[in-house]
Order: sequence, then C-alpha cells, then structure tokens
Amino acid sequence: MITSFLADQALLEDIVRILFVFVLITAAFILSTRNIASLLTVYAVQSFLLTLIAASLYLIEGSEKLLAMAALTLVSKVLLIPLFINVIGEKIKISRDLEFNYLEPTASLLVSMGLIMLSYVFLSGFFDEYVLGKLFFVGAVIGLSLTLMGMLVIFSRKKVMTKVIGYLTMENGVLLFGIFVADLPFVIEILIVIDLMILVLLTTILAIGLDSTKNEYHKRLQTLKIWSGREE
Amino acid sequence: MSLLEALVYGAIIALIFGTILPLLYRSKNTRKASFSLSFFSSILLLAFAGTVLYTGKEPTFPAFGFLPGLNFTMAADRLSAGFILLIAAVVPGVSIYSIEYVEYAKSEARKDIQTVLTNLFILAMLMVVLAGNMVGFLIFWEIMSLSSLMLVLHDYSSEENKKAGIFYFIMTSLSTAFLFMGFISLFRLTGSAEFGHLDYAASILTLPFLCLFIGFGIKAGLVPFHKWLPYAHPAAPSSVSALMSGVMLKVAIYGFLRFLLSVSAPEIWWGVLILIGGSLSAILGVIYAFRESDIKKLLAYSSIENVGIIFTGIGLYLIFKLEGLEGLAMLSLVGASFHAFNHALFKSLLFLCAGSIVHATGTRSIEALGGLIKRMPRTAALFLIGSVSIAGLPPANGFVSELMLFQAYFYSSALQDPLLKVLLIITLSVFALTSALVAALFVKLFGITFLALPRTKCAKEAIEVPQPMLSGEAIPAALCILSGLFSNRILALFGFDFGIPDMLVIGLLLVGVCGFVWLGVRNTGFSKTPRRSKETWGCGILAQHPTMEYSSIGFSEPLIAIFKKIYRPEISSTRTYSDTKECIFKDGTTKIHFPKFFEKYLYLPVAHTVNVISFQVSRMQNGKLGTYVFYVFIAVLTLMTFTRYFA
Amino acid sequence: MNASFLLFTLLNTGFILLVSPFFMSLIKKVKAYVQGRKGPKLLQSYFDLRKLMQKEVVYSPNSSIIMRITPYLNLGALLLATLFVPVVFIPNAPAGIGNVIVFLYLLVIERFFTSLSGLDSGSAFGGMGSSRLMSLSAVIEPTMIIAFAALAYVLKTVNFHEMFAITAGSTIPESPTLSLISISLFIIIIVETGRIPVDNPATHLELTMINEAMILEQSGKNLALIELAHAIKQTILMAILINTLAPFGLATELTFTGIVISCFYFLVKASLLAGLIGLFESSIAKMRLFRLPGFYMMAFFFSALTILMEVFI
Repeated sequence: MITSFLADQALLEDIVRILFVFVLITAAFILSTRNIASLLTVYAVQSFLLTLIAASLYLIEGSEKLLAMAALTLVSKVLLIPLFINVIGEKIKISRDLEFNYLEPTASLLVSMGLIMLSYVFLSGFFDEYVLGKLFFVGAVIGLSLTLMGMLVIFSRKKVMTKVIGYLTMENGVLLFGIFVADLPFVIEILIVIDLMILVLLTTILAIGLDSTKNEYHKRLQTLKIWSGREE
Repeated sequence: MSLLEALVYGAIIALIFGTILPLLYRSKNTRKASFSLSFFSSILLLAFAGTVLYTGKEPTFPAFGFLPGLNFTMAADRLSAGFILLIAAVVPGVSIYSIEYVEYAKSEARKDIQTVLTNLFILAMLMVVLAGNMVGFLIFWEIMSLSSLMLVLHDYSSEENKKAGIFYFIMTSLSTAFLFMGFISLFRLTGSAEFGHLDYAASILTLPFLCLFIGFGIKAGLVPFHKWLPYAHPAAPSSVSALMSGVMLKVAIYGFLRFLLSVSAPEIWWGVLILIGGSLSAILGVIYAFRESDIKKLLAYSSIENVGIIFTGIGLYLIFKLEGLEGLAMLSLVGASFHAFNHALFKSLLFLCAGSIVHATGTRSIEALGGLIKRMPRTAALFLIGSVSIAGLPPANGFVSELMLFQAYFYSSALQDPLLKVLLIITLSVFALTSALVAALFVKLFGITFLALPRTKCAKEAIEVPQPMLSGEAIPAALCILSGLFSNRILALFGFDFGIPDMLVIGLLLVGVCGFVWLGVRNTGFSKTPRRSKETWGCGILAQHPTMEYSSIGFSEPLIAIFKKIYRPEISSTRTYSDTKECIFKDGTTKIHFPKFFEKYLYLPVAHTVNVISFQVSRMQNGKLGTYVFYVFIAVLTLMTFTRYFA
Repeated sequence: MNASFLLFTLLNTGFILLVSPFFMSLIKKVKAYVQGRKGPKLLQSYFDLRKLMQKEVVYSPNSSIIMRITPYLNLGALLLATLFVPVVFIPNAPAGIGNVIVFLYLLVIERFFTSLSGLDSGSAFGGMGSSRLMSLSAVIEPTMIIAFAALAYVLKTVNFHEMFAITAGSTIPESPTLSLISISLFIIIIVETGRIPVDNPATHLELTMINEAMILEQSGKNLALIELAHAIKQTILMAILINTLAPFGLATELTFTGIVISCFYFLVKASLLAGLIGLFESSIAKMRLFRLPGFYMMAFFFSALTILMEVFI
C-alpha cells in the first residue's frame, strides 16, 4: 500500500505543486509578519517544506544526493539555525519589527506577484519548459522568485534580525533552484550551509545587545559604549 | 423606398421639426410639442432598429452630394442598429421628463434654447450612428459636440459652469483633432471616405488605431482623458447629463467599434492595450467616485467606470478573437454592447432622478440630504431600481452584462499563452473589485441621500416632483428591469445564444421565494406579534439628531484608508485650547483635501506647456497691417527661393 | 422544471434550512469547550429563533420600508442560493441554476440590503457597520472571484451542479489545485460569515463589530429572519468547501438511499468543518480593522498563486 503510494508519480508531482504554493506563502509571510518569533517559525516551516520537496523529488527521481540534501536541510535550517536565532532573539528582547522601507507589506505582496511573473518570463528565455519538464521549470521559477523575495525582505525591512531571515530566505531560493535545475555539486551545498551557520553565529555575536537597526549599531560603535548585554 | 427607410426618414424629420419649431413659435405648448416629436421619433427608431436587428436586413439610402467629390451617405447594419436601439431606449424617458424639467430654466429664452439644443443634440447623435462615411460622421460629430457644449454652458452666469464649459470644449476639440488625424490617415490608405473593410497589415494601421483610440477614448471618458466628465455633467441640466452620459459616450464607443470591426487583421497588443485601459478606467473611476459628495459628479465618475467595463469587454473580444476562440469573442463583444445599452438605461435613470433631487432640494451635495425616502417616495423607488441595476444585482439588467463578461473571463482557461492567461486573471480580479466597489458606492449614495433623518432644512422641506418627471424616470426604470428579466429572450431574438442563465427563471424564483418567506411568516402564527415604534437606540441620548448619522465622507473613510496610495488625502487641522498647556480642547477645524492627481500631474503640465508656446507665438501677432504684409512678403520670397533651388 | 428539480428544491432547501442553525450552535459549543466553558445547548439556536419570532418588532420612527423588506429579501436571496449548492443529490436543473456568478451576486443582494437597512435607522452604529462591511467585502471580492475562477479553470465549467457532478465520483480531490482552493474557500467562509479574526460575532463593541452593528436596530421576527439567513449562508459556503475537498458520498442520481447517505455524510463532514472553524476562531485573536486589508491581501496572494500554478503547470 505504502510502496504503491510512494511510487505514484502523478500524486507526488501534485504534492510538490502544493508545496510550491506553500513555500511562496511562507515567503509572503516573511515579507509582512511583524512578530519576530513568528517570523522565525515561518522560516523553519519554509525550510521544512524545502526538505519535503527534496524528499518527494528523491522519490520521483531516486537520486541519493537529493535525500542527503533533504537531511542536511532538515538538520541545519529547520533545527540549528532557528535555534541560534532564537537564542539571539531572547537575548536582545526585540519582539517586533514594525517599520518598513520603500514598500508596505500590501504593496510588497503585489510586487512579489510581479516578481514571479518576471522570473517566469526571464527563465522561459533560457530553458525550454518542455525539455526540462514543466514541474522542474516551475520549480526553477519558484526558486528564483523566492531569491528575489528574500532580497525584497532585506531592503524593505528595518531590523537586522529580519534582514538575516531575508538572507536565509534567499539562500533557500538558491537551494530550490539548485534542486530543480542547476545540479549543484553537493560539496557546494555543504559549504553554503556552513557559510550560513557562520553568518548566523556572527550575527549572534554582533547583534546581542545591539538593539534594532544598523544605524543605531553604528552609533554605538562610534560612541564606543561597552556592551551591557541588556536592552535599555 | 420601403417601410424601413421611411421609419428613419420619419424620425429624422420629426427631430428636425422638433429643433425648428420652438424657434418659430415660442410658447410652452411648442416646447411640449417639440419633446413629443422627439418621443415620437424614438418610437419610430425603436421599430427600425428592432427590425434590422431581428431580420438582419440592411436598408439602403441614396447618397446626398453636397460638395463635388464629397458625398454624405447613410447606412445601417446590425452594429449601428444596436446603437440606434440604445438611443431609442433613452430618448423617450428624457423627452417626457424634459417637458416639465425644461420649465425650471431661468428665462423663456433659455427654455426655448434648451429645447432646441436638446433636439438638435439627439438628431446629431442619431446621424453620427447613421453616417455611412467619414465625412458625415465627422460633421455630425462636431454638431453633437457643439450642441452639447452649448447645453453645458446653459447656465453660463456661474463661474464654475464657465470653467466646465471651457474644459469640455478643449477636451472635445482634442478628441475631434485626433479623430481627424485617424480618419485622414485611413483616407490616405484606402483613398475613400467610406467605412469599409480594412484589409491591411496591423503595422500600417498602428497610427490610425492609436489616433482613433485616443480620440474616441477622450469622448468616452477613458482614464486618463476622463477629466471633463466630472466638470461637464454637474454644469449641464440633468436631462442633458442623462443624454450625454447615456448616449453620447456610447456614440464614441460606437465609432471605435465601427473602426475596430472593420480591421481584418488586428494585433494582439491592441487588445491588451484596450483591456488594460478599460480595467484601469473601471477601477479608478469607481475609486474616485467614492470620494465625491456631489451627486452628479459621483454619477459622472461612475460613468467613467462603466465605460471602462465596456472597453474591457472590447479588449477581451479582440484577444479571444485573435486566439481563435470565436465563441468567447462573441460573448465578450455582445456583453460589452449589452453593457453599453444597460448603462445608457440606468445611468439616464439615475441622472434624471438626480435632477429631481436637485430640483426638490436645491443642492447637489448629498451631505445636506437624507430622509428623502419619506418625502419623495416615488423618486426613491425609481432611484433604488437604478442603484440595484448599476450595482449589478440579479435579475436587473446591469447584472446580465457583467455576468456575460465574468463568464467570458471564467472560460479563459481555453487560452494557450500563459502570459495572456495571467493578464486575464489580473484584470479579472480588478473587474471583481470594481463591481464590488460599485455596490458599496451605491449603498452610500442611496443610503446617505434617501435614508435616515434629513441633515438640513432643504432636505426636510423637499416635496415630490410633478408627475411628468416621474413618468419620464419610470420609462428607463421599467426598461432596466424588463431588459434584465428578458435578457435571454432579447438576445435570442437577435440571434445570440450563449447559454447564460435565464434571468426570468432567477427573477421569478427570487420573487417566489421571498413571497414564500413572507407567507410563511404570516401564516405560521407569528403574524400577531406586536409592533412598536421607538426611537433609534443611541446609548442613552434623549433625541436623535441628524449630526449623529454617518455622513458621506464618513462612509467612505475605510476605503479612503485602504486606498490611501491612490487618494493621497491631505489632512490639515487647527486646534485651539482653553489653557496654556494645551490640555483642554476648545475649538478646532479639520480639513481633508483630495488632490486631483491627473489634473495636477498630467493636465496642468500639458496646459502650462501649451500656454508657454502660445505666448511665444502670440508675440508675433501685434495687430498692425504692415507687420502681416511683411510676413507674407517674407513667406513669398522664401517660397520662390525654395521652389527654384530645392524642389 | 422537471420532477427531479422540484423534489430537489424541496429537499435541498428544506434540509439546509433545517440544519443551518445547528452548525451555528455547534461552533459556539466548540469555542466554549476550548475556553473551558460548557457552552449553549446544541439546539440553542433553534430556541433563540423561536423566541425571536414571538417577540414584538420595534421599528425606529426614522426607518423606512427598506428596514421592513430587508429581512424577507435576505432570507429569500439565501434560500434561492441554496438551490445552487446541491447537498442531497445533484438534480437535472434548468439552465442557469447553479451558476457561480449568479450565486455570488445573490450573496451581494443580501449584503446590499443589509447595509442599506443599517443606514436606515440613522444610528451611528448602523452606518459604521454598513460602511465597514461594504468596504471590506469589496476588498475580499477579488479573492472570492479568483478562488471561484480557479474552480472553473480546473473543472472547466461555471456551474456548481456540473462541478460537483465531476468531483462527486472521487474520494480525494482530482487536482492539487482543488486542495489549495479549499484553503481559499475556508478563508472566504471566515470572512463572509464575520468570524474572528475579521469580525467577532459574540460582541457588541463598536470597535470590533461589523455585522452585528448593522442589525442592531432589527428586532423580533425580522431579526430571526436575518439570523436564519446568516446561518444558511454559512451552511452553503461550508457545503461548497465540502463538495470541493471531500466530495465522497454526494449522490449524483435520485435514489432514496442516495439521498439518505448524502444527508448523513454531509452532516458528519459539516460538523467536522464547524468544529474546525470553532477551533480556528479560538486559536486566533481579532485583528485590528485596518490590518484586515493586509490579511485579505495575503488571502488574495494565496488564491492568485493557486491559479498561477494551474496556469503554469
């Protein structure tokens, strides 16, 4: 029963399609959610969705690399990175990111819809969707738009914490794109994950005690005030 | 000459008499006779258009040569018959209404002029639709524009109306200029002034297409050329507003369709441009309507929105046709035309009712009204019919045409190109937003104007308007409901069958079910429950005051907040306090100002540039004869040199 | 008009009319349990309706005929709408019954007249409710249309009867898009029936109320009719979701056992859904009024993605 279920290609592809929509929805939440704890949960969910996509793809394609990728994503992005950031979050006691640059959440959702279209048009110039397979083509489109939406997060949100999550979203987009099109060597994927860990650790070190925005961080550096470890 | 042609000639002659009579014999009875003539002519036209649409027989008219090489011909096919039907449906109500309404003009002369011009206006619109070639079309187009301009300037003593008239004049001249350019370039291509099939590649026709799109777009009130509507409509008498909004805008759409349907190979970007222009007009029209408190301005913006919907349908038609989906193309085209017809009916009804309200209360601002349903119950009922139709509630006619367009959208999965599909999905959601906003808009208009307590003395003392005006309004109101209920029958009669839901079934079921509920409540022992009349609950206040009611701008507030980016409201407030520390509030004012976006960023800069250039040019004009002879002298010398050496 | 349709009219409308108040109380019950209360009886809504029917009707002297016809029009439009959503079996309906767009606009009739009656008595509360309802329902309209257009895209028809005839045969949704659409439909139920986070049906606080504000001046049997119409609206929206997501059990032929099985399955599935709605309401806080457009935008984004997936793949 279960083996026949797992072997049903059409069903698996349907599941991947549903997962695509949810991945984009998580990105939309990252664009508009104001509460940092929920933001982190959403990021973990997004990474988990990616794990699921990689796993389903393994069932479709049978390449072991995908399974390894899924495992790596699960450990690093669903468990470890959110854990680190959670630690920072508790230390710096910022629970909300209310301000937006350039784009209000509503507008940025409209823009992201445009981005998805743009990615579609852009990629259809490079790949033939019938050669690549429709599912893989759309996977690439979703990956690219996820990357762009991550970029949108980085410049439209104010707090460093949110920006980090935006960056992580971008990386998820790259991963998705890699799974479906580029055939990234697995080593590079591991390197990227390590990179991310270091980024998050660095952010932890830099951001603890530095509240909110970069400007204020620079101000603090200028006045050479010693970190007290507490929010004032 | 067969009966068909006789009907048209009869109608034209009746209208000509209607135009001339009040000039010859100036009395109240002549004016009455004149409007009766236009009523009569519209009956003839109704018979004519119905026959042509039903049988598909095209009448032939002899050509009138009035200049060597330039003929004026008349022709009528099913397209023009459709628009003649539209004219014939609007004019009867307006004529009967005007019999009484025209008597409210300030002086005898103005009453006569208004009668004459109204008849001339109707005649001109009819002739534009009947014109068989470009010459006739343009001549009567100009007569139509000028007669309506005179009517807009009717009450010329007010400063505001003067401004409206000038604005309208400029825009309408611009429209004519573009039409001339478009028609001349067509003339150069075909070498004939007749409307005929244009078997040319779309790339050659790009210039005529753009010129005609802009020219007709200005006249139809397409965003961003829409600005003249909210100025001209409040200035014109209400019966004329009804004609302008109901018929004249549709004449522009007729012209555009006449061109578009004759092109044998249009390109897909035409359809995309029309669709986007239409959707933009629709949504912006209704959003701008929401901030208005002037009833006629509000209706004018709503016309912009409806014209947008019609253009949306035309754009859909072109896209579906080029993608090979003939059935959907026809559905969209007939949907658009039917919406034009429906809009003509309910918008003329609403403008006529607005005229009654303005006459009864003396104000156009709905902020000053309220409670009119008790004072003018018949007008209220008719206005409610108009509101229900325009808001697209089944089974009224406005719903049917929107249903046809929605259905065309819903079936668009048959398209091949994914990008076109996405465009259609986006415009579909804009269309849905528009239609929902229209419902909200008319809840506001009807609710603030007619319900609750009167807000000022003028609303309190309003009395019902006389019978002829009510009868005039009743005709389009009845037609709104009938053409909705019998929409399937009418379309089938004219040879269209799209399998859309039968409104007669839905309408009967709705009435049946409501009756069933009513009987159910009455006959199940609950009819004896007592009733009591008691003051509205007001959290403990003793008596209710009109200032506690929601106002027009208050009603719009949530939408103004949601569409802040579009309205860009500027709120300024001043406050004074009773103490020095500014704690105890004493007095204050708050102003909300809505900047006029298109006027500020499009119209004024263009006007400014034109002004600067004109100033430079005007320096060459000093009024002295010698200078002009000098110019001529220079010109002659230049020409001589030029022809000798360069040509 | 054939016999099958006539029977359908009686059975379908009668059944929905009968069970609708039950789901209202069921949701209240679930919410109460989550909050650790015992909650009302499961038949409480029926008692309330009965009580209201017997009470006297109080009209404001400012109010007009609008206030008096609104309850009948509301219930009439909603009863007509029940014909569009088959629950007991799928009949051989005359053309046009079951059309998605007509269905949506029947809901607009209800909204239009309720809003007018809100303005009718001249109370500030009523005006506030009307203004908010009309504005917010306008903003949710694109989401609704897109969700239903997606249904039409997948099932290639604009008629509910035909749609459900297609889905009824299968146990799981035919296409992944259908499962996604059901999430949009769930959001639409929440919004259209005025539940948390959009509106709080349990309060009469001017900061939060939308729907309750408009019917504040309604009383007696008029109020009963409006409440009943509201309950029916909730049931038919739930039925659309159920027939899309979990269509098994719906009879496509007119047989006695088929009808009984359909009714039974519908009751079970709708009770589960009502429980889900109750849990959803309990797990989330009421949103500030002006945060709602953002929420709607998210819903729109979701439905648009659903249909984009359908277009692209």
